[in-house]
Amino acid sequence: MRGILRTLALLALAVFIIGPLVQAIVLSLTVTLPHPGVTVGDWSLVNYRNIFASPALVASLGNSLTYVTANVVLTLSVALPAAYALSRYRFVGDRHVFLLLLAFRITPPVVLSLPIFLLFARLGLLNSPFGIALVHCLFNIPIAIWILESFISAVPREFDETAFLDGHSLPRFFVGHLLPVIAPGVGVACFFCFIFSWVEVVFARILTSTGGKPITMAIDALFTFQTDIGLVMAMMVLSLVPGVALIWFVRDHIARGFQLRA
Amino acid sequence: MSNQRPDNRAWLLMLPAMSVLGIVGLVPLIAVFNYAFFDIFTLQSRFWVGTEWFAELVGTPDLYAALGRSLLFSALVVLVQFPLGIAIALMIPRGRLAGSLVLMLVAIPLVVPWNLIPMIWLNLLHPTYGTVAQMFDAIGFDFDYKFNAVHTYALLVTVDTWHWIGLVVILAYSGLSAIPPSYYQAARIDGASRAQVFWHIQLPKIRPVLLMALLLRVIDSLMIYVEAFGINAGGPMGATAFLSLELGEEINAFNYGPAAARSVLYFLLVLTVAWLFRVAMQREVK
Repeated sequence: MRGILRTLALLALAVFIIGPLVQAIVLSLTVTLPHPGVTVGDWSLVNYRNIFASPALVASLGNSLTYVTANVVLTLSVALPAAYALSRYRFVGDRHVFLLLLAFRITPPVVLSLPIFLLFARLGLLNSPFGIALVHCLFNIPIAIWILESFISAVPREFDETAFLDGHSLPRFFVGHLLPVIAPGVGVACFFCFIFSWVEVVFARILTSTGGKPITMAIDALFTFQTDIGLVMAMMVLSLVPGVALIWFVRDHIARGFQLRA
Repeated sequence: MSNQRPDNRAWLLMLPAMSVLGIVGLVPLIAVFNYAFFDIFTLQSRFWVGTEWFAELVGTPDLYAALGRSLLFSALVVLVQFPLGIAIALMIPRGRLAGSLVLMLVAIPLVVPWNLIPMIWLNLLHPTYGTVAQMFDAIGFDFDYKFNAVHTYALLVTVDTWHWIGLVVILAYSGLSAIPPSYYQAARIDGASRAQVFWHIQLPKIRPVLLMALLLRVIDSLMIYVEAFGINAGGPMGATAFLSLELGEEINAFNYGPAAARSVLYFLLVLTVAWLFRVAMQREVK
């Protein structure tokens, strides 16, 4: 009896989560505006074909992938040493670092949008995927440090000492020894950096007013006086693909490593 | 912690991360604090006005009304998402594959770009082709999220729950799976009921992770912007004009001085909440 109830509850959950996406997927496969060779209301792949026929939309896919990749690489390369330091050493102010990271993680983007725009205009980082990659470090570095720190702390200290006795330098130790051992943690950190960066809109909007638009802004730009809702939904479906693929890769580790120390 | 050694050179390892955070976090924050004391016509011509913007903000009931609406929304979000999220985490099957599938399911909404979330939901409510709108029509329920404030709140809480329930479930589940099996064995030997196991073993053990989830959900819902703007832009009649929506309006109107003053107040609010959570967490550890 309890088993049946649980199955029903999980099914209801699946309907609640998947349901809203189903209509979007159906619309993306439907002709919603007149196009040559198809009739409105028919099933067709015309919306997906139109995406790849539009240079602006194709460029936005490239921009999004560029900034997310740059952000993940930058975040992980600065967060790994920091997480190692917090895990292995006591130093002046180490307890305050966690509060500081927390403050940066939860600062609302709206609060910083104006000065970020002015600062990045001066640095020449407007309308470029790298500007977005840099600004998203604001919330991704704290997250990556928390996750990596908990994975590194699960590795015994003797592991480091053996590597150092073998004469490895710190950078070589990170790349050659530590990274393979905490690979699941790196995967989870990548996943959380990806999702918070991929979905962010406020910074992405103000930094790309005239060029370098990511997917999110390219979709916003599709809303005109006669919106092709099928095309919008096809773009939305494409925007989900990388995230869902990442979920698949980290599925067994996703629930580990979010244990935060205060 | 015996695993840690005192060594201040560790700061060298912190340096890269702290420099990046300095550029994208600290410098803009200082700039915002600075703008808050000026009347800014263009960035070249600005006048020192002291604390005028703050006095104006704090002196009008408008700010407190917006704060009240934001707190109401956060309270609804927490009251819905925490019982639900914990219940789902408890229901997740122990088997590896089935458990992974449920976690993957609830994680899907987390990867949807935020400005698309209102689009997806408004589609469901579209008068001509929206599935949910048709279902409401069929049962004769007059759902009007545009002009009925209660309905707008219901829709916003539903959308937010769809979006974020995965985070609560993932964190609660990570706490639950860290409980050693010996605890459950001891409980079984003592003949503890399912409810007793929950109240005396599971809940106390997942409290620290839940606090973390609570902090993230409270802050993010207090400062909700993109989704709320997309659903009803603060309407009807400003009933869902939350703190960040009012700030967004001020930035869009180029009132930089007052916008900066608002930003400073919000930042201090967020920081206070974070500090309260830190105190709670430290008590938890002891």
